[in-house]
Amino acid sequence: MTDSALPTFIAESRELLREMEAALLECEQGETGAEAVNSIFRAAHTIKGSSGLFGLDGIVAFTHVVESVLDRVRANTLQMDRALAAILLECRDHIEHLVNAVADGKSDDVQLATRGESLLQKLSARAGGPAAAHTTASTTPVAPAAGHALWRIHVQFHAEVLRNGMDPLSFIRYLGTLGDIVALKLLTERLPGAEEFDAEACYLGFEIELASSESQQRIEAAFEFVRDDCTLQVRQKGTAASEVVADRREADTKESKASKSSDSRSLRVDGDKLDKLIDLIGELVTAGATTTITARKAGLSELNESTLRLARLVEEVRDQALKLRMVQIGPTFSRFQRIVRDVAREIGKEIRLETGGAETELDKTLIESITDPLTHLVRNAIDHGIETAEVRRSRGKNVEGVVRLDAYHDSGSVVIEVADDGGGLKRERIIAKAIERGLITDGSSLTDSEAFALIFEPGFSTAEQVTNLSGRGVGMDVVKRNVNALRGTVELDSKEGEGTTVRIRLPLTLAIIDGFLVGVGNSSFVIPLELVEECVELGDEHRSADGDQRYINLRGAVLPFVRLREMFSLRSSASRRESIVVIRCAGQRIGIVVDDLLGEMQAVIKPLSRLFSRIRGIGGSTILGTGQLALILDVTSLLDLCLNTRQTQAAPRRALMD
Amino acid sequence: MAKRILIVDDSASVRQVSNIALTRAGYEVIEATDGQDGLAKLAGKINLIISDVNMPRMDGITFLKAVKAHPNYKFTPVIMLTTEAGEDKKNEGRAAGAKAWIVKPFQPQTMLDAVAKLCLA
Repeated sequence: MTDSALPTFIAESRELLREMEAALLECEQGETGAEAVNSIFRAAHTIKGSSGLFGLDGIVAFTHVVESVLDRVRANTLQMDRALAAILLECRDHIEHLVNAVADGKSDDVQLATRGESLLQKLSARAGGPAAAHTTASTTPVAPAAGHALWRIHVQFHAEVLRNGMDPLSFIRYLGTLGDIVALKLLTERLPGAEEFDAEACYLGFEIELASSESQQRIEAAFEFVRDDCTLQVRQKGTAASEVVADRREADTKESKASKSSDSRSLRVDGDKLDKLIDLIGELVTAGATTTITARKAGLSELNESTLRLARLVEEVRDQALKLRMVQIGPTFSRFQRIVRDVAREIGKEIRLETGGAETELDKTLIESITDPLTHLVRNAIDHGIETAEVRRSRGKNVEGVVRLDAYHDSGSVVIEVADDGGGLKRERIIAKAIERGLITDGSSLTDSEAFALIFEPGFSTAEQVTNLSGRGVGMDVVKRNVNALRGTVELDSKEGEGTTVRIRLPLTLAIIDGFLVGVGNSSFVIPLELVEECVELGDEHRSADGDQRYINLRGAVLPFVRLREMFSLRSSASRRESIVVIRCAGQRIGIVVDDLLGEMQAVIKPLSRLFSRIRGIGGSTILGTGQLALILDVTSLLDLCLNTRQTQAAPRRALMD
Repeated sequence: MAKRILIVDDSASVRQVSNIALTRAGYEVIEATDGQDGLAKLAGKINLIISDVNMPRMDGITFLKAVKAHPNYKFTPVIMLTTEAGEDKKNEGRAAGAKAWIVKPFQPQTMLDAVAKLCLA
């Protein structure tokens, strides 16, 4: 429909450009009258407005910047002078070239575009303000909801609506174009008596049931012009027959049934009481261990047997008590719906949040502490992960990006995944940045996962553009630190062009761990049992006097190791026999050299005082059955420490404090 | 009987494209080149007015005020055409009673949608 009007547009634009030229020449000669500025502005304004109608985005983008500058001149925040008039004249000429190009039927001239860019730069250098051409946000069609949903719309028009030129009836007619109006009820409660009745006021409200496949947004938009003049409530009532939707409804009712039955059987307990109980059970475990040791020493077989039975029961009580603190992660996930919606809208991307494993349970304190890192990861995915609609379209992806939150149990730990189907990480860029930041010297030997792990290093950020969302100086290193503080690990998978998945692995609970007790000199250490793979003896051939050999051949594979005695500067000479505890952590194997292997135990974690919070390599302490204190190793940070030590060749003892 | 729309804009191309789009959608269209011309063309049945803000001779806000004061047309819905740059004008227009706005540059479909909300063909 626009083609037939195109000649009008061209003729009109040329006419306006002539006026603009005359006025600009006046200004250049120093006779800047308000009328001249006005007519320059109006010319730019009109050309921009009408070129938009014809879909001539190039002209719109260029003219927009010119118009913004002129608007400031008009508002007297920018002084029109000869220099500015000269640049504006050049801009005018450029618009003329653009219009001529349209007239000649070749609107996408590359040379013209580059010329436009440099002109805009010149203009912004003179006038300040944005250099980049304004690109009009393309109105992407809103994806219709699956099937026909039944919407209930409650609208109460305010008294002024008729006087404002709005006819309530017209909005209801328009609603009819979005779907079928199934039922309509007139609300007349506000109708006054005949004496008070004002013929020009509106007293009516409507309750409408609409069967429509449109989104809530589109339905609410029907009332956009009366938003100030009515009270509007749109909500989904239920769903009309459609297979997909019917399935969902079935799931819904199942869910509601389940939640109903669990509601009636559940009991609200003050969290502090629970914490106290868990504390006591921790003490019980410790006391039980003491009894077991004493019984063994006493050598009474009957006592031994009964204490072992007691220990088993204590273990069961512990497990049940810990379950009391377990809550489902679902409600935490649902909070992200709002965040995703708001943030996505703020930066103009279309993003849907999907969640899975809402019924997965984890410790309440864990859920509280994981919300911040999760928020950061989700925002990162929205901000840097998901591409803009244009890029997605050009890559043949669905315009709507997907961020997915998942939770599941995996061999004694809980895994939470934050996945996006965005652009993925670019290996080369990460390595280049890491080299620039001095984190590494050469990236060629790194595997992909090692390269991706670099983004968790302090001070690393690949986002080229700092937006107001993620660019607050809080990087992925903080996420990693927070997760590590919860004795968890972070992994990252990414495929360029396909998306990124960040996997957070957390222990089920913070209170008690199954540990492996080892001794070095007179000190005892606890290694989390789930990380221990095996124990081997450290042969004499590997025990060089200066202790500088730091690896052994374990069945044909290189196993690097660290000596706890060195790491913690323990002042005792090495014992005659040493053993290696082989641990696997974050996909790497490493050996820890100790004097004695003391066996499995349950360790009730006592957090370290804040005074020691900066010590790396130690996650907490526990009281042994003998009353002795054992330190619980924080294997992840210990590993970091050794790897960094290897790379920087620094003395291991110095690396202990960060 | 077809709904009649008065479109007031100094740009001939905007008028022409709008006219074509609206006529195809089943409306009857009257064109005016500015506010003064618009007031002159206020006669007979008019279901909706679309008016630009920035126009020579009489601008859209003045025109809007005149329409709101007109005994026969004070209840006629008016859609104002504005730009992002005209935020001040928009506030001025709001004070004058303008409720419906379309931000320029717009696609013909956007205009048809807005028109349909206020007066379905």
